[in-house]
Amino acid sequence: MSGLPYTPMNTRTPVSLYRRRSAILLGLYSLLNIAAIFGAIDGLRGPATWVFAAAVAAPILAHIWAFLALMRSSDEFLRGLMAKRFIVASGITMAVFCSWGFMELYAHAPHLPGALIVAVFWGAFGLAMPLVQTSH
Amino acid sequence: MKNHLKVLRAARDWTQEELGKRVDVSRQAINALETGKHIPSLDLAYRLSAVFELPVEQIFESPYGADSKPAPVTP
Repeated sequence: MSGLPYTPMNTRTPVSLYRRRSAILLGLYSLLNIAAIFGAIDGLRGPATWVFAAAVAAPILAHIWAFLALMRSSDEFLRGLMAKRFIVASGITMAVFCSWGFMELYAHAPHLPGALIVAVFWGAFGLAMPLVQTSH
Repeated sequence: MKNHLKVLRAARDWTQEELGKRVDVSRQAINALETGKHIPSLDLAYRLSAVFELPVEQIFESPYGADSKPAPVTP
């Protein structure tokens, strides 16, 4: 296991570091969205709206980095397990979004915003957890 | 892959956590090895070999049998 030493008393284990990073990043993401819902960006026009959209997306990208950093600093079993679950969740997400896209195109299904893909992915990751229990 | 990790660990009165620390992996990794949910890398197999002071073959059973011939190497 590379990176931080694995000891139960060490609060800087890869998992606790990931939890802290997740709390900060997803908290920031929520705050920006709540600010938008309550009209904080109503006055924005032109490039400023793009900057705000990028600011909302940034914590999500950073959270993916945090998860990959957790994988990198975990031991070989946990890394293999997380990688398998990540791949399964990516596959489920692609299948769901692709299928829904065709339903929108041909069956006039209601439009789903692309930003929802993150929620679908983590939902799929949760589904994959009990199904994927081995690293091989 | 069958192995004798649980027996060897118990003989030394080590917990999964302790063995994990000795070979620098998590308790979950040791549990996964013991229950066949993880096939160790060559590096981890040699680390376990060093900790138990036993050859790798005495910790892990070859899935191909002692008498089986290795598959021919193709270029």
